[in-house]
Amino acid sequence: MKEVGQWSEEDVIDWLTEEGMQEYSEAFQQLDGPSLLRLSEKDFRGPPLSLVSGDNGRQLLDRLETLRIAHHMEAHKDIHHHHGKSHHANGHALGNGTAKLHHNGMPKNGFHSDQVHIKIPLPAPAPERFPAEWSKTGTAFLYAVCCFLTTSVVISVVHERVPPKEISPPLPDKFFDFFGRVEWAFSICEVNGMLLVFLWLMQWMLLKHRSIVGRRFFFIVGTLYLYRCVTMYITTLPVPGMHFRCAPKLSGRWEAQIHRIMKMIAGGGLTITGSHSMCGDYLYSGHTVMLTLTYLFIKEYSPKRFWVYHWVCWTLSAVGVFCILLAHDHYTVDVVVAYFITTRLFWWYHTLANQPVLKESSQGNLFSRVWWYRLFQHFEHNVQGTVPKSYQLPLPGRILPWVTVKYSKLETL
Amino acid sequence: MAAADPLVEQEGETSSNSSQSSQCGDHVEVTIETISCPAPETDSPSRQPSPEDTLDGGRNHGKSTRLARALRAGLLRKNQDYVRIKIQRRGNRPSANPLPQEWWKTGVAFVYASACLVLTTGVITMVHERVPSQTPPLPDRFFDLFPHVPAAFTVTEINGMLLVGLFFLQLLFLKHRAIIFRRFFFLQGTLYLYRCLTMYLTILPVPGTHMSCAPKLNSDAQAKVYRMLKMMSGGGLSITGSHIMCGDYLYSGHTVMLTLTFLFIKEYSPRSMWWYHVICGLLGVVGGVCILLAHDHYSIDVVVAYFITSRIFYWYHTMANNPAMRGSPHNYLSWTWWNPIFNFLERNVCTTVPCTFAWPIPIPTSWLKNPCRRYSIVQSTREQ
Repeated sequence: MKEVGQWSEEDVIDWLTEEGMQEYSEAFQQLDGPSLLRLSEKDFRGPPLSLVSGDNGRQLLDRLETLRIAHHMEAHKDIHHHHGKSHHANGHALGNGTAKLHHNGMPKNGFHSDQVHIKIPLPAPAPERFPAEWSKTGTAFLYAVCCFLTTSVVISVVHERVPPKEISPPLPDKFFDFFGRVEWAFSICEVNGMLLVFLWLMQWMLLKHRSIVGRRFFFIVGTLYLYRCVTMYITTLPVPGMHFRCAPKLSGRWEAQIHRIMKMIAGGGLTITGSHSMCGDYLYSGHTVMLTLTYLFIKEYSPKRFWVYHWVCWTLSAVGVFCILLAHDHYTVDVVVAYFITTRLFWWYHTLANQPVLKESSQGNLFSRVWWYRLFQHFEHNVQGTVPKSYQLPLPGRILPWVTVKYSKLETL
Repeated sequence: MAAADPLVEQEGETSSNSSQSSQCGDHVEVTIETISCPAPETDSPSRQPSPEDTLDGGRNHGKSTRLARALRAGLLRKNQDYVRIKIQRRGNRPSANPLPQEWWKTGVAFVYASACLVLTTGVITMVHERVPSQTPPLPDRFFDLFPHVPAAFTVTEINGMLLVGLFFLQLLFLKHRAIIFRRFFFLQGTLYLYRCLTMYLTILPVPGTHMSCAPKLNSDAQAKVYRMLKMMSGGGLSITGSHIMCGDYLYSGHTVMLTLTFLFIKEYSPRSMWWYHVICGLLGVVGGVCILLAHDHYSIDVVVAYFITSRIFYWYHTMANNPAMRGSPHNYLSWTWWNPIFNFLERNVCTTVPCTFAWPIPIPTSWLKNPCRRYSIVQSTREQ
């Protein structure tokens, strides 16, 4: 950018355009830089400038003042620079162009200036707090499936070792002393269980963070069934009631055993579906595990104001568990141990997941010594904080127009 | 004291780190509580049963609070999600000791443990009457693989006594022995209490034909009491001849003591003494295996006992070592029934108990102290 004193008429016009004062361009056609600097207020009193200017040239003069100051400084700098060489005391070399003047541009907000780059770093996008990570959910699902398969195999193996009722009568049990057997009670238990599982499934599909919650469910249910395999296998309890009709033992016949296992898996291990004809899987009760776990998950991942829903589910669960005992299908200790370990594992896992301080293994965090801690860390590593209870229809696309819920948490995908 | 407005004293959903869960229509409840732990990063619940203890764990804290809450909810005709904001106020003792001894609490824990032990003895006596005598031993995987070794149970009991002796010796030399004792008594009491429950509900038959059970006294109450006293005086050990009763199989008290003493020994001794830990670990494992070799318990008894002892130990110590978690509504570890007892015992313990050793009796060795030590003592008295 040239210094003002060296501006030509075109430069003056350009400057006017930049400053947004194009109305003067026609009037200033003959003006060059030095003449521009010589403009003063009295020039605006008469034509032609008075006709063009609306404010008596006030704005233009102000801008001009800025130019003059810059020009003045520039001239001074030159003089001092050349002082050693030329010993001129030239004073203000305004307008004549005789002083040696630098090329030095003033920073302007125009296209003629050198551009000044101001770098504004964009904030890095914050990492998502609750990433879906469906692969991890898939791993958890596979784990649960493996545990279910192992359970079925172990039940089949244990069935061979159950002592016959005649030799080992049912063990003395406190509940059985108080309550006689009620035949249809076990169907109630299984119906309740299926209802609870169905309700949980519906609720799970409506959750926004369904992959994280699903991962947790699969992991916990898998671990509980794995523990169950161990307890069933190492010591075999006799059948709890003489009413049991256990399938005959198939000692050593592999195909028949595999067929039995498949039948059990296909029926979900329920007596209603006729798939549970094997005995020996008493300590601890898988039905209690499912009833308790689905209730815990339902309660945890639904809004607190749905207290009616929670009470209904609690009643379903409690009645189901009571009916297991009423049907004399499990010993009391089986149900108590199952309830205990389900609730504990659920609480431990969720506390570890919700407290960031417990996600690191440290000396203060003794839960880092459990065998599943590494698996837990793998699943919950990227989940930052407590999973909020937000809901979302599982369908892509917009909310259906007739669903108008105010202040709801429904969001589209 | 918790100064919560009674009108809005509802359980609420705290979105401590997520704003997504608050929605239009949320009500805000502010509770102000005084914390007794002076360190700024720690907090512990106040004396009153604070609302957050009953938050969603209502089933563990009695029906009355739940009913009251439901009534209030009905009164307000709203049952919406609340956002709870906790404001913590420092207590009045800014320079209190973060690890006070409080021997009286240890006394309470000791009484609790003794009560549980007495209860256990009573339950064993009752269960003995109901043991099925005609039922053969249940099929057990370990018994299939390993035959009966008669002298093995003695080994278990010797190991158990050794471990208990080592633990008490170690405890004598620990500085914070009151706190550690308290924890030991509480955990032991709770484990024996659970054991009462599982023994009583379902009675397993005798695991081996070698076991000699005392004859059943059907309604002779006096003889039963005599048996109980005999068992308590002998510590329930077969070596002392006090364990003549059968039926206490699920789960194994011997395994509980072995595991618990080992865990405590390991936790409260320096990490550098790894050889000591290994020895105690071996004692524990050998003791556990010998129980099974002697066919004195089923495998399930030992496995369940190990599992529940270790888990409760980890649970209690995680809660105790992370005081910042104590007031959090997302701390589900506090939903257990023994949480009030835990709060009572550990309220004033604000940090992890360090593993420092001290003489059991203060020995007057002032002439041995070096000037540096004296200087530090002067400093501490000036702070007081």
